[in-house]
Amino acid sequence: MATILTLANIHKRFPGVHALRDAQFAMQAGEVHALLGENGAGKSTMIKIISGVYRPDSGEMRLDGQPVRFENPRQAQQRGIATMYQELGMYPELTVAENIFMGHAPRTRLGAVDWRTMEDRALQLLAELNITDLDVRRKVGALNVGNRQRVEIARALSLEARILIMDEPTAALTEADVERLFGIVRLLRRRGVGIIYISHRLQEVFELADRVTVLRDGQYVGTAPVQQVDEPQLISMMVGRTIDNLFPKMPVQPGATVLEVRDLVRLPTTRGVSFQVRAGEIVGIAGLVGSGRSEMAQVIFGVTPAQSGSILMEGRPVQIRHPSEAVQHGIAYVPEDRGLQGLVRAMSIRENASMAVLRRLAGALGFIKRRAEKALADDAIAQLSIRAYSSEQIVNKLSGGNQQKVVVSKWLASQPRLLIMDEPTRGVDVGAKSEIHRLMSQLAAERGLAIVMISSELPEILGMSDRVLVMREGRLVAEFSRAEATQERIAAAMMGEQKAVAR
Amino acid sequence: MFMAEQAASSRPNTPPPGGLRQFLLSQEGVLLLLGVAMVLLLATRSDKFLTVDNLLNQGRLLAEIGLVALPMTYIIITGGIDLSVGSIFGLCAVVLGFSWQVVGLPLELAIVVTLITGALAGLVNGLFIVRVGVPPLIMTLATLAFYRGLAQGISEARSVTGYPEWFFGMGQGDFLGVPQQLWVLALATLVAGIILGLTTFGRALYAIGNNETAARFSGLPVDRYKLLIYTFSGLMSGVAGYIFVSRVTTTRSDMGSGLELDAIAAVVLGGTSILGGSGSILGTIIGVILIQLLKNGLALTGVTTDATTVVIGVVLIAAILFNTFIQRRRAQ
Repeated sequence: MATILTLANIHKRFPGVHALRDAQFAMQAGEVHALLGENGAGKSTMIKIISGVYRPDSGEMRLDGQPVRFENPRQAQQRGIATMYQELGMYPELTVAENIFMGHAPRTRLGAVDWRTMEDRALQLLAELNITDLDVRRKVGALNVGNRQRVEIARALSLEARILIMDEPTAALTEADVERLFGIVRLLRRRGVGIIYISHRLQEVFELADRVTVLRDGQYVGTAPVQQVDEPQLISMMVGRTIDNLFPKMPVQPGATVLEVRDLVRLPTTRGVSFQVRAGEIVGIAGLVGSGRSEMAQVIFGVTPAQSGSILMEGRPVQIRHPSEAVQHGIAYVPEDRGLQGLVRAMSIRENASMAVLRRLAGALGFIKRRAEKALADDAIAQLSIRAYSSEQIVNKLSGGNQQKVVVSKWLASQPRLLIMDEPTRGVDVGAKSEIHRLMSQLAAERGLAIVMISSELPEILGMSDRVLVMREGRLVAEFSRAEATQERIAAAMMGEQKAVAR
Repeated sequence: MFMAEQAASSRPNTPPPGGLRQFLLSQEGVLLLLGVAMVLLLATRSDKFLTVDNLLNQGRLLAEIGLVALPMTYIIITGGIDLSVGSIFGLCAVVLGFSWQVVGLPLELAIVVTLITGALAGLVNGLFIVRVGVPPLIMTLATLAFYRGLAQGISEARSVTGYPEWFFGMGQGDFLGVPQQLWVLALATLVAGIILGLTTFGRALYAIGNNETAARFSGLPVDRYKLLIYTFSGLMSGVAGYIFVSRVTTTRSDMGSGLELDAIAAVVLGGTSILGGSGSILGTIIGVILIQLLKNGLALTGVTTDATTVVIGVVLIAAILFNTFIQRRRAQ
């Protein structure tokens, strides 16, 4: 296969950061090329250079052997480079066809939009991707994430893209949508489109990619065919050291029951859930996206209080109608969406770390004791090794992993007895991920904290849980001990295959 | 010199410099400098401007806007808005006059009823915003019309005059040589500033304005605090209405129309982001003073009212541009 795109000796500096130093990259037609690296390694900068958002300070980019320099994303698009970003850039109020042809709609002789041709060609493009179940006249806002992504791929095809950049395309997808996406990616590859694929999920890389390029701290580490590397090798390339144990789970002897939930109902998502968690135990909750796991956690935490059923903390029934009541009873919740639910990103580490315990940090009149607050934040930074210059740093400027540590520190400050962690390592790079796992393990084993961990990553569920519960359609449908749990069994229960449930 | 530069650049992520320089670069600092420059300029144009008498008299005029702008600062910091303050102000003025003259309550009691009316009017705003989920802009736009209509209905276009002499003390009297309402405003400003800057309540308002969901998920009593600030806003509109009636010695139902815009303008000029999440009482009070001095100074130098309005508009736009510029720099 011919090499279509090469980058050599690329440098890019931002104020205070040398984002890319001497980076290189080479892409062949018809390959899926995974781009790997921790957060801050320079992946985003690299794809933004390729797609024309940034211009390199020095270095050379060649397309089909010809040196190119894009002044803006439009020029890159015209040369056949299409990008799908994490936050899908679509117009929700417009139809599928309009979105596909936004900016290059077919025209009639009079210059008006030629609706019929546009819709026909949209149908045709979707059919080329084996997508026949999508109405091109529907508004994109009414589609689910998977379908919106398919529309975006069709849009790339309409632009006759030869290189398609996909940045974390599976982050928000259900398993079924992931499978379909992979099918489409393979189809495009057969057609000679080069695909640059960025993902934190190494499994996907092994399943889908032909070659992989690793960046670290803005520098090129290496490129290799996927068959010639294994997971530990890739991780050590990304992190620069070997992470000896990906899931540092310590053995525990579970203590007394901390949380018991009986017949918890909050329609339509929580339909009668009962389970127990004991001190020192990590209970993993697996399930498909939309199975009601986060919703159930938010019922327990009082964000959306239960309609019926009971919650017992350490044997005593408790009423939880608001998060503040959950906090008073020793429950903490590290939510799924860090930016929206977990942090006030425009505020400092100090102000975030103290947010759940403000009242305890204040005297009778409500005056916050600044010194105690600062000490709390400084302790959190030291204990969780949060990388920041001071507790006054604005949280928004931290990396994903460090932001997550701030959320965790906020909740540890409330001295909980039950910690619910919803996707604790989503969007967190490999190094910080193993730190968070080690912390969870320590909290359970050494402090006797009861932990409920909701995760969509089966390796994480298997690696960290003492017990695994599987949720489907608002109910718990299976339970496995650490010894019994396997990827196949959990997946089968998630999908609802009768055999697994009957066990 | 070279060495120093190197030492500085070898520490990436250096925290921003603090102290005086930071204050001068903040919205409040720039406003203060702008204010001083303006006062000096206007003083050269009119010898009546920079006199104790004139300034104290201006203090009398700005107290009402100031009192309304304090809770408005809280509300805008949480990302909300209260357009109904002018109508509550008018409603309270009418309630004061009519509960005294028509209902026949003792005037002292009528004042209490007036303040309770203001607080209730604010509470109604809060309840609909919090419990029903009506956006603050829509809710208070509705009550802007509703409370004004109520005031007109009660007053039936009649005005109330003939208040006893003691009643004018608040609006026209002095205490230690300074207008009484300025003492009220000073005390209210101090308390409001301390609460916003130093207490858990104040911190929660900033958190709500920056990310209400996360504030809720952190167990902060978001709904209760929102109810409180809208009620507080109504109460302060009532206080301002009472002071106004005491100053102008009469009650009419159209009092306070447009007050909401003056108050919001002062808050925004003071550096509070209209999107919520940042702002200060100090900035608001500087904003209130600046607008009043600008109006007065321009009037004294012979500028027409229309032209004055234009100048104030230009100052506001400049302040917002500057605020945006600061936010961008901070975000980098």
